Amino acid sequence: MQGDASATGARRPGPGDVDSGAADTGTVSGAITVVLVDDHRMFRAGVRASLEDGVVVVGEAEDVEGAIRAVRELHPCVVLLDVHLPGGGGGGGAEVITACADLLGGSRFLALSVSDAADDVVSVIRAGARGYLTKAITGPELCDAIRRVAGGDAVFSPRLAGFVLDAFGTGAGDVAVTDDELDRLSAREQEVMRLIARGFSYREVASALFISIKTVETHVSAVLRKLQLSSRHELTRWAAARHLL
Amino acid sequence: MSPAAPSVEAVARLPLRRPRRGRLLGGVCAGLAAHLGQSVALVRVAMAAAALMGGAGVVLYVWLWVTVPAGDPVDAALEERSVAMTRLAPRLRTGAADLPITEIAVGLVLVVGAGALIAQRQGYNLDTNWLVPALLLLAGVALAWSQLDAVQREQWLMRTGGRTPISALRLIGGVLLVLVGVLLLVWQEAPPASLLRSAAATLAVLIGVALALAPWWLRLVRELGDERAARAREAERADIAAHLHDSVLQTLALIRAQSADPEAVARLARAQERELRGWLYEDRAAPGTSIAQAVRGVVGDVEDAGAEPIDAVVVGDRIPDANTDAMLQATREALLNAVRYGAAPISLYVEVRPEAVEVFVRDRGPGFDLDAVPADRLGVRESIIGRVRRRGGTATVQNCGESGTEVHLALPAAGGEVG
Repeated sequence: MQGDASATGARRPGPGDVDSGAADTGTVSGAITVVLVDDHRMFRAGVRASLEDGVVVVGEAEDVEGAIRAVRELHPCVVLLDVHLPGGGGGGGAEVITACADLLGGSRFLALSVSDAADDVVSVIRAGARGYLTKAITGPELCDAIRRVAGGDAVFSPRLAGFVLDAFGTGAGDVAVTDDELDRLSAREQEVMRLIARGFSYREVASALFISIKTVETHVSAVLRKLQLSSRHELTRWAAARHLL
Repeated sequence: MSPAAPSVEAVARLPLRRPRRGRLLGGVCAGLAAHLGQSVALVRVAMAAAALMGGAGVVLYVWLWVTVPAGDPVDAALEERSVAMTRLAPRLRTGAADLPITEIAVGLVLVVGAGALIAQRQGYNLDTNWLVPALLLLAGVALAWSQLDAVQREQWLMRTGGRTPISALRLIGGVLLVLVGVLLLVWQEAPPASLLRSAAATLAVLIGVALALAPWWLRLVRELGDERAARAREAERADIAAHLHDSVLQTLALIRAQSADPEAVARLARAQERELRGWLYEDRAAPGTSIAQAVRGVVGDVEDAGAEPIDAVVVGDRIPDANTDAMLQATREALLNAVRYGAAPISLYVEVRPEAVEVFVRDRGPGFDLDAVPADRLGVRESIIGRVRRRGGTATVQNCGESGTEVHLALPAAGGEVG
């Protein structure tokens, strides 16, 4: 991906070139609008080059303040957000999401990072991101994830699923009995998470469990909600120990 | 993912520090709560209850305030880790604002003062004879002691951490205020001839001065230790930086030399990326104490040997035993098999539970029929399946058609069933 970046970096249009009138409506002729936040120009150019039709980058930012400004001005459908960003109070991507909390209904955040560390993952998810991807992802997969997030679904990579299983426990005694229980996963959610961690796509999970893709998406969204809202003892203590709450 | 970190750190007791975040007064209760693993509210209630019992809580509180250094308990615990095992990238902080305790305290004092003045005007006769000197005394002591908190801040500003003009002013001002307060307090009424009184005055002055000077002395002692630790840390950091630079520069040179061979370049880049990622984003466990760490080592070896990246997810962690070593070797064989005969992407999922370890190795290749594999081919049958079954575990190869092949290994912990 980095190779693409250097090749196409020269003709990258700046944020100022964008027709902000069209961006205000959230779409550019039906396409999904994206604001790209990353402190590495090479990486931004690489992502821009790898996006397919139907996904349009309307703005870019490279630090916390710039990102907050860009999101507030451009109202994109999806914000692709690096976890580690310079500026602000040192909170990185999580700080951007917190500062734009009132926009969470309209603009959805998808975190993208080179870091696999669990505490980086949980900080952005708990701030309100709808998914977490590592930067090794391919262009088509990224577009797929952007569409999914724009449609209101959650995007779980194997790593994020692994973290969820780690935080909520994998034992049989850790299973939620009722649906509204926030601190434990239901047996089905645990199964779905385990399959995603094993590298199954949503479609493969659906066929392995004999359920529809829509049901898989519902389970994943439910898990995301639990991850964001749970006050599960281990999760909170663990996150608090790392200043995440 | 670093699943080992949370559980290990949660078990280990945090060192006693007075955190800046979430403190109400001096951070003593918050620090105690973190140290003891209790809720802050509980510790505060206990402290308040102790304070009601003849002021024991107050004495304890002040004593801890004086002797416990300010700082973040978690950061202190992380500092105690060997630097070579700690991630280098900074951890994210949330910008949650602290309560402006100082401002609130000043405001309270002003409000109380105003109330007192109004009361005086209304005709209530407040006995100010002892009040003003006592306040002066308190202010002096507070000023002198405040440098204990200021030390940390100043060390950030100037690495010398020595006697800055500000800390000297603090000390002198504190001593002066205390002296004035004590004199006013002791010589309130005219008869200065009283021997007893002057003796008491002398004693009081001495105690006041000692109170004001003690933090300075404490600070000197503590600074010495801090300075030494800082130097050691600095040296360790320099070692790490040297290591990183060497490895990265070395790899870049190799890549340039082999730029005609894309496969070699990809392999070098991947190996280097993995190493750098490990250094930057993960706390590393000591060798031989973590299954997760061992799995990552195996993945690294296989990635180096083949040309395929492996997406590895490890859930849970514990100390390896004899069975997990066999499991790791079987995992290595399964991964090598997937790299050799399967197709990308290759996924590895390891779930470590106290009673068992489960491993899933998945690739998108056409798969193979186990029964069709000739009996003399040792690869799959012996090195993967046989190895696990001999230890009392189960091993299956599942052919999922177009979505690839998955090897599933499950093995109970040693001490369960050992074959």
